Amino acid sequence: MKPLIASAVFGVIMMFAALSVKEKKTFTLLATLLLVLLTGVNIYELMHIMNGEIPEALFNGMLKYGSFSIWFNTLMTGIALLYVLLCGKHIEKVGQHTGEYYGLIFFILCGANLLSGYNNLLILFLGIEIISIPQYILAGSDKRNLKSSEASLKYFLMGAFSTGILLMGIALLYGAMHTFDVSQFNFMEHNVDAMSLGGIFFIMVALGFKVSAAPMHFWTPDVYDGAPTPFTAIMATIVKAAIFVAFLRLFSETFGGISQHWTLVLSIVTALTLFVGNITAVFQQSVKRMLAYSSIAQAGFMLFAVLAVNATGFKGIIIYAVAYSVATIGMFAVLMKLKDYTYDGFNGLGRKHPLLAFTATIFLLSLAGIPLTGGFFAKYFVLTAVMEQGTGMMWLVIFALLMAAISAYYYFKVLMAMYFKKGEPELAIEVTTGDRFFLGLAAAAIIVIGVAPDILLAWLKN
Amino acid sequence: MPVAVQLLIAIGFVAIMMIASHLLGPKRRTSDKLINFESGIPSIGNARQPMAVKYFLVAILFVLFDVEVIFFYPYAVNFRALGTEGFYAVLMFVAFFFCGFFYIIKKGALKWED
Amino acid sequence: MKDLVYLVPLFPLIGFLINGLFWKSMPKKISGLLASVAMLASFAVSLGIFFEIKNNPAAGGVVHLFDFIHSGSLHIPFAFQVDALSSLFLLIITGVGFLIHVYSTSYMHDDPGFTKYFAYLNFFVFAMLLLVLGANYVIMFIGWEGVGLASYLLIGFWYKRKDYTNASKKAFIMNRIGDLGFLVGMFLTLYHFGTASYGELFPKLIAGLPEGVSGNTMNAIAICFFIGAMGKSAQIPLYTWLPDAMAGPTPVSALIHAATMVTAGIYMIARSSAVYNLAPIAQSLVAIIGLATALFAASIALKQYDIKKVLAYSTVSQLGYMFLALGVGAYTSAVFHVMTHAFFKALLFLGSGSVIHAMGGEQDLRFMGGLGKKMRITQITFLLGCLAIAGIPGFSGFFSKDEILAAAYAKNPVYYYLGLAGALMTAFYMFRLYFYTFTGSFRGTHEQEHHLHESPAAMIIPLVLLAILAVVGGYVGLPEVFSEHHLLNEYLAPVVQNFDVHHLTHETEWMLMGLSVGLIVVMILLAYGRTKKPDFKENTGIAKVLENKWYVDELYDNVIVKPMKGLAVVLDKYAERSGIDGIVNGVGRLVSWGSNRMRLLQNGQVGTYIFAMVVGVVLLLAVGLLIVG
Repeated sequence: MKPLIASAVFGVIMMFAALSVKEKKTFTLLATLLLVLLTGVNIYELMHIMNGEIPEALFNGMLKYGSFSIWFNTLMTGIALLYVLLCGKHIEKVGQHTGEYYGLIFFILCGANLLSGYNNLLILFLGIEIISIPQYILAGSDKRNLKSSEASLKYFLMGAFSTGILLMGIALLYGAMHTFDVSQFNFMEHNVDAMSLGGIFFIMVALGFKVSAAPMHFWTPDVYDGAPTPFTAIMATIVKAAIFVAFLRLFSETFGGISQHWTLVLSIVTALTLFVGNITAVFQQSVKRMLAYSSIAQAGFMLFAVLAVNATGFKGIIIYAVAYSVATIGMFAVLMKLKDYTYDGFNGLGRKHPLLAFTATIFLLSLAGIPLTGGFFAKYFVLTAVMEQGTGMMWLVIFALLMAAISAYYYFKVLMAMYFKKGEPELAIEVTTGDRFFLGLAAAAIIVIGVAPDILLAWLKN
Repeated sequence: MPVAVQLLIAIGFVAIMMIASHLLGPKRRTSDKLINFESGIPSIGNARQPMAVKYFLVAILFVLFDVEVIFFYPYAVNFRALGTEGFYAVLMFVAFFFCGFFYIIKKGALKWED
Repeated sequence: MKDLVYLVPLFPLIGFLINGLFWKSMPKKISGLLASVAMLASFAVSLGIFFEIKNNPAAGGVVHLFDFIHSGSLHIPFAFQVDALSSLFLLIITGVGFLIHVYSTSYMHDDPGFTKYFAYLNFFVFAMLLLVLGANYVIMFIGWEGVGLASYLLIGFWYKRKDYTNASKKAFIMNRIGDLGFLVGMFLTLYHFGTASYGELFPKLIAGLPEGVSGNTMNAIAICFFIGAMGKSAQIPLYTWLPDAMAGPTPVSALIHAATMVTAGIYMIARSSAVYNLAPIAQSLVAIIGLATALFAASIALKQYDIKKVLAYSTVSQLGYMFLALGVGAYTSAVFHVMTHAFFKALLFLGSGSVIHAMGGEQDLRFMGGLGKKMRITQITFLLGCLAIAGIPGFSGFFSKDEILAAAYAKNPVYYYLGLAGALMTAFYMFRLYFYTFTGSFRGTHEQEHHLHESPAAMIIPLVLLAILAVVGGYVGLPEVFSEHHLLNEYLAPVVQNFDVHHLTHETEWMLMGLSVGLIVVMILLAYGRTKKPDFKENTGIAKVLENKWYVDELYDNVIVKPMKGLAVVLDKYAERSGIDGIVNGVGRLVSWGSNRMRLLQNGQVGTYIFAMVVGVVLLLAVGLLIVG
């Protein structure tokens, strides 16, 4: 509970700091400090759990934190810290209200916290909304840019639509179960009826929308492309990971008992997502838009963790969330340094700025799932998780591997531009020693996860 | 299966009706028919005139605080039953409420003149 | 010694890191020296391990370094398997690798990317060693992908030419398709046996089919692994990347695309012999695909004019032989051929590199000829390589190829006759290559003729050493008619379970040997006759088909690449905003003004998106509620 309150209060602090502080750099500094503090609070909470303290249900059973949710939160705040360190300079450049942007990022973390600890469908709804509304604002934060405003409005309208569907699903489930408390849901073969199934499917659609699963993905390319790049980076990573955790918890823990009723639909969604994301990413001209499609494709892989309905799926989502988030944030951080977001903008980067190019290489290799990077074990884990359930999903695994092979094509196009093509890449912003250090740190983290993914699982109990 | 058939028939019926009414219905387009209906009064100018954003801001803030105030009604009804704990909870609610209020005042959202 | 095995991949890794991190400031001399010394050190350790295991086969085992993952049912250790098979491969990789590193210091001397080249090369060796040393399929896969990446980087090393970078992309994508099979096989293994470690998996299989596992499962696993091997070892239908991969520098072709990486598939299947012995259908498939590739590639090599292309197709063809051996259950023969092939093919590639170096980059046979006068050592070593690959008695290729053919005869005489036909083609095209290059009169420009010179010592010494190996390398595996002891068989016996290899009578063996040798000599004479008066007129008929490699590239382009691109374009159009508008507009025109209202409703982008989303969701709900629920 402490991290939850802390993240909300820190958000308010950032808001009020915006009233008195004028210097933009100060906000980044303050946000960094507060994030360090928040990570500390999370670790403190984690220590309690590791010492054998049994977590109690909070607020009349509305919230329940286990080692999984607290560890996930710790990782997410850590990644948010990395994000601010890497992208802080760019956040300052977006618009006038830097303090508020950071405030909204804290609210996003607050929402992520709720999503990892919810024990009640109302809290799930609240978490989804708390995580979504700041995104609508962040997407439109570059007010003078027409594309940004368009992205914000589009996201808002479609988000509202999906919220309606989510509420409909929750209402149907309430009708079937007579409670919002997910721990009291008792799905048995005999009480599965159209009402509860309809509820499950509506929730699946709404959550699928938020993680940009096909065919609910249409907003993703436009919004990710239109939103200011630093905010695209957080929308595609921390937010997506947090909603996936909610998705996973709901479907594995609560609906896991009747998985035979919904896995077919979800596997169709997974296949569609992989297909649309990967195939469309191939023919993009802009790296930013390619990353938007790649985030759809990566969501397809994360859906495997949900499909698995077992403990390995939970481990898989942790590794996937971290490997994917770090690599994507790193890739966006490199992208933001450049003036030209097309592939040609990367031409000759390997010669001109070897470190930028080298770290970008590691991030891209990880996204493509090449061994010795975190991305390999992420994919390995989620696919093994599905295979543990039997060979019924074999077709989907093979399909996913085929799609992963295709994904190598468009990730390597960037590599090719950086190393195999001549050009003079123009930087939009100077690369400082700090940037180099943190990019190197992110790349090192990817390699460490790729060599010893176990360190991410050591903090999980059972 | 019967459900699917019924679904198909229902959708098909709606579609056929919509298309048929478009195809069969007589259409006369005169300039009088296409103008906006303003209760019989001739319309003046364009309805889409730019308006100061301040107007919307105040309106939205009003709705926001109005809705928050509604929460006091259920509290007032259950005042006794909720006891001290409830009182602190509402106190916290009001504190947050004031945080927001203070924030918008400071941000100058309610300043009418520039 | 066994516990020091981690040093073997560590040295190249250090070389890679130093060269890779400081490639901007590193002097050429030092980076080349560093990379070569790293290889030499690895070779020394490998040698130690090899002899330890030779003296005491029980000295091997699993060296556990740390755990990747140890949680619940999933346990993947990072461990090395040290035994006869892996130590033999270690020797080939580090030994041949060292010679090629030395050769490269001279060959790449004027290249601006010198340090980067050595960094990549060291990285390749590191990945290859991981592949061979890994004690479970996961580590093998890590190495597997690593060598793919290194080969991608090295094929595209001369990135200024667009077709070169395309070749590198092609290689990578084809390999990824193969990897897919490998991964699926690995997942199936994990699912059925709960482990991917050799030490736990194979003992379960040696006694026969374990309970609860059907023969079909074993076949499925074996075929999946074989698909992986097809990609990496360039077998039909995934072979087309290898000839294109010749775009890389010649030492790279020698190391990666002849001696080591492409034999990874053979290593994998030999390692998994326990699996294949329980999968007869997969075994036959391996044999048939191997044989088909051997013949097919050899026929293409008959009519190629690019010196490296001939060698590339020859490599594909020789790999086919190795798969034939694997398919008939003669695993040690396959490994034997890997070893001899590594020697003579690396020699031939380095020799061709020496020729190309002297010719100033010219690779076309039609402009060579009579080079022997100027480059005596290259000529002699190249000739030795040709004799070895053609299978002339006394040279290494004879023993290994003969062993494969004998095993094939024992399994099915048809395999033997087809294999023999391939061997005859091999003899023909290799000597055609040799005569065109080194004998006759020079057909290039005056400038080139003037430039002709023997290569420097750093290039010649590896050639000589490899030539010696190519001659004597076969004596570790003398056939039964010559010697009681087949050294290699004895060495590998504890690791590899040869399956059901019938022993031939000595008379049959003598007869087969005599037949093949006689015919091969005839082919060489034929090649000599054909090349005596070079006549390069336009090919027609079947020769033209061969020259154009049976038009397989064009076929793939039309059947696979173009439809995929078309699909992507279609999706791109229709998934994008304008596309959806386009559909709506098109539909609008179709039903004329009737749908005017509808188009007005749909022309906002969010509207179309939500519309498409709702259609999708309704279909999903229909599937979920009507079919499943």
